[in-house]
Amino acid sequence: MTVGPTTSALETGAVPPTRRGRSVPETSALIFVLIAMCVFFAFRSEFFLTADNFINILVSASVIGIVAAPATLLLVSGQFDLSVGSGAALIGVVMAWGVSQYGVPQAILLCILTGIAIGIVNGISVTIIGINALITTLAMLAILHGLALVLAGGQTLPLPDFGGIGNARPLFNIPVPVFLFIGVTILTSLAMRFTVFGRSMYAIGANPVAARLAGIKTGRAVFIGFILSGLAVVLGGLILVSQLGAASPQAATGLELAVVTAVILGGASLAGGRGTILGTVLGVFILGVLSNGMTLISVDSFWQQVAQGCLLLLAVGFDQFRLRLAGKSR
Amino acid sequence: MPDITLAMQGISKSFSGVEVLHQVDLNATGGEVVALLGENGAGKSTLVKILAGDYTADSGSIDISGEVHSTLNPLSARRLGIRMIYQEFQDAGSLTVAENICMGRWPRRFGLVNWSRIRSEAAAVLEQMGVDIDPSVPVGTLRVGERQIVEIARALADSARLLVLDEPTAALSHQEVERLFTWVRRLRDSGVAIIYITHRLDEVYELADRVVVLRNGDVVLEDATARVPRRALVEAMVGRDIGEVQRPADLGFATLGEPALELEHLHLDDQITDVSLSVRAGEVVCLYGKIGSGTTQVAEACFGLRRPLGGRMLLGVHEGAPRGPVDAIRRGVGYLPPDRKREGAFLIRPVAENLAVSSWGQIGVAGMFVTKRQEEIAYNRWSRPLNIKAADPARQPIATLSGGNQQKVILGRWLERHSNPLILVEPTRGVDVGARREIYASIRKMARDGKAVLVVTSDYEEVVQLADRALVMSRGALVAELTNDMVETQALINASGG
Repeated sequence: MTVGPTTSALETGAVPPTRRGRSVPETSALIFVLIAMCVFFAFRSEFFLTADNFINILVSASVIGIVAAPATLLLVSGQFDLSVGSGAALIGVVMAWGVSQYGVPQAILLCILTGIAIGIVNGISVTIIGINALITTLAMLAILHGLALVLAGGQTLPLPDFGGIGNARPLFNIPVPVFLFIGVTILTSLAMRFTVFGRSMYAIGANPVAARLAGIKTGRAVFIGFILSGLAVVLGGLILVSQLGAASPQAATGLELAVVTAVILGGASLAGGRGTILGTVLGVFILGVLSNGMTLISVDSFWQQVAQGCLLLLAVGFDQFRLRLAGKSR
Repeated sequence: MPDITLAMQGISKSFSGVEVLHQVDLNATGGEVVALLGENGAGKSTLVKILAGDYTADSGSIDISGEVHSTLNPLSARRLGIRMIYQEFQDAGSLTVAENICMGRWPRRFGLVNWSRIRSEAAAVLEQMGVDIDPSVPVGTLRVGERQIVEIARALADSARLLVLDEPTAALSHQEVERLFTWVRRLRDSGVAIIYITHRLDEVYELADRVVVLRNGDVVLEDATARVPRRALVEAMVGRDIGEVQRPADLGFATLGEPALELEHLHLDDQITDVSLSVRAGEVVCLYGKIGSGTTQVAEACFGLRRPLGGRMLLGVHEGAPRGPVDAIRRGVGYLPPDRKREGAFLIRPVAENLAVSSWGQIGVAGMFVTKRQEEIAYNRWSRPLNIKAADPARQPIATLSGGNQQKVILGRWLERHSNPLILVEPTRGVDVGARREIYASIRKMARDGKAVLVVTSDYEEVVQLADRALVMSRGALVAELTNDMVETQALINASGG
C-alpha cells in the first residue's frame, strides 16, 4: 500500500510525467533566463553586445566549463568534488616549479600525475574508506591549498614562456581554451549518454543499493569519476597559469563554488540520478554572462560574490522544490 | 474522557486529476476494531493519511466526537488523540527506546529536557505492557517485532484515542503477531478506536469487529466481520469471482535437468549452521520461512552478499561462493531483492533502462557502449512475455508504473541477462492480486523453459501456487521438505512452527 494512490491512477491511463516532458521546459527555462540576461545587459552597456566581449565571456567560462563537465558526471552519481579550486591553483604552482626545475614537457607530465593523484586520494577516501564526498573534498581543498603555498613558498611564481594553451588564437580569432571547453564538453556528453560507464553513473546516483545488486561496479565507477575530475583540474589549472603568466597559490579561489552552482543550475540534482551536460553548459554561460555583465555595468566585485552565492542558494532551492514535486506525484 | 467517535463522511480525493477516493464514509467508535481492506491502490492509505492530516481531502467532512472538521493537519490530528503506526518505521533508530516512547513531548525541567523522567516514564509504560525491552538501548538495535511494540508503547504513553495500524504485521514473526494482537485488544478494551489496515484475511477474522472494503476508491462492503464469509471478502476486494488458493495443475511434475544451484552444509552464522538444498533446471523450489528464520540470509549468500563460513556451493557450473554481486551475476545468478523500492528499482530512471541495466555489457557494442535504442529493443523482447504495461518505456520513469509492473520489469532484467539459477526473494510483496497471478505464471514458465528457480518467501499462499517442491526453514535450519500434493497451507504453517 506504500506505492500509494497513483498506482491505480496510472493503471487507469493517466499520462505519466515522462523525462521529455520534464527536461524540455527546464532547458528552455535556462535558455530564456540566459537570453533575458543578455538583453538586460545589452541595454545597460554598449560594450556587452560585441564580438570581443563574447569571446571574453567564452574564455572566462572555459575553465569553469572544463571542470564542470566531470563535476556533472560526479553529481549525477551522487558525489561532488570541492577540491577543484585549490587543485587548479596547485597545478599552476607545480607547473611553474616544474618548468623552473626540469622543462615544459616534464612539468606537464608532473601536473598530470598530480591531478591523477588528487583523484586517487579523493576516490579512495570516498569509495574504499567510505568518508562522504563533502568531508573528503573539503579536507582536500585545505590540503591542496596548503601544498600550493608550501611549494610556492607563499609567493607568486613567474611562468613567462607558457602562454600558448591560454592565449593562442589558432582559428577565427578564438582562443585555445574555448576549443578545449567544447572538446571536453562534447566528450563528456557522449560518455554520459552512450557508454556503460556514463549510464552506470546515472544508475548509481538514482539508487546506489540497487546499482550494486544489478551488478554495477559502483566503487570503480565513482573512483573513475574522481580521477576524471582530477584530470579536468589539470587542464583548467594549466589554462589559468598560462593566461596569467604566473602561478599564484590563491588562483582559482572559488572555482568550486562556480562549478557547483553551474552544475546545479543546469538541472543536475543533489540527490543524484539527474543531470545533463547541456544543462551544465547553460549554467556555466548564465554564470559567465552574469559576472561579465555586472563588471560592465560596474557592480562592485564584492557584490558579485554575494550574487553568486545567492544564485547557488536559488539553484539548490529550486532543486529541492522539484524533488518535493516529484515526491508528491509519486 | 468519553470514548471517541469518528465519522468521516463523503471523503473525495484526487491526485493529478485522477480520483483515488470517491465519497467514502468511514466510521469508528472507541472500543471497536475496524479492519480496512483493499488491494494495492484501492485508497486505504490515502484515506488514513487524510485522517492523520498528511493529506487534505478535496471534499467531505471529518466528525470527531461531535466536532466537525473540514480538514485536519498533523498537529490538530495529534491533539485529537489520533495516532498512526505505519508499516515503515517512523521512529528514530539512533535514539533510545525511552526517547522514542516520549518523542514529541519530552518532559522538561527548568526548560531543559528531563532525562530521568523520560527514562522512568518509558520504563513504566513498558512494565505496564509486560514487555522486556531495555529502555536505554537505541531502537535501531531492536528486532522488527520489538520496534513495533515500542511504537505501540509510544501510542499508549501518548494516550491515543484512535489508533491506525497500517499493515503492522508485514514483518513480524508468529509470536510477535500474537503479542501485537494482545495489545491491540487491550487498547480496544480500554476504549480506544482502532482502524486496522491489512492484506491478511486471517487477521481480519481474528481481530476485527467490523470490516470495510475499499475498491478503486469506493466502499464496496461494510459489515460486521462475523456476517461476512471469507470468499465474499476476497471477491469484494478483487471485484470478481475468485477461487480459494489452488495449486495450478502444472506443478509438481517438472522434467528436471542438471542441478543449477546446490548448497551442502552451508554455514553462515551462529543460527544458520547447516543448510543443504539443490535446485535443478526446470523446477521451482520455494524456500519458505517466517521473517527471521534465515531464508533471506541463505538467498543473500547465493548472491555474494554474505560470506559463508563453511560448506559447499555450486552456482550454474561454478563451484564456490561468489565474492559479490558482480561475481554472482557472472556465474549466472539472477537475484530479485525483497525490497523493490530500496534495492531493486531505479525509480527515477526509465523503464527500459531498469530492465536492461544488468545486460549493458551484452546488448551494447564492445561491452562499453550502449544506446537507449538497444535498451528499448531489450525491453521489447520481454514486455509481451511478461505482460509489462508501459506507455513510453524509453523515457517513462519506472516509478510511474504499478508495483506489479515494476516487479515484472525487474524479473525481465534477469531474463535479458539469461540468468540461471534465478533467486527470487518475496517476488510479489506489494503486488496486487491480479499482477500476482501473472507473475506466478511467468515464474512457472521460466522453470519450464529450463531455469532453476529458487523462490524465497514468507507467504505460504505463494508457496502453494508456485512450488514444485517446498523447503521449510525455521530458526536457521531446514525442517521439512514437501512435494506434490503435500504442498498445502496447513502443512507449511505446521512445519514452520505455528
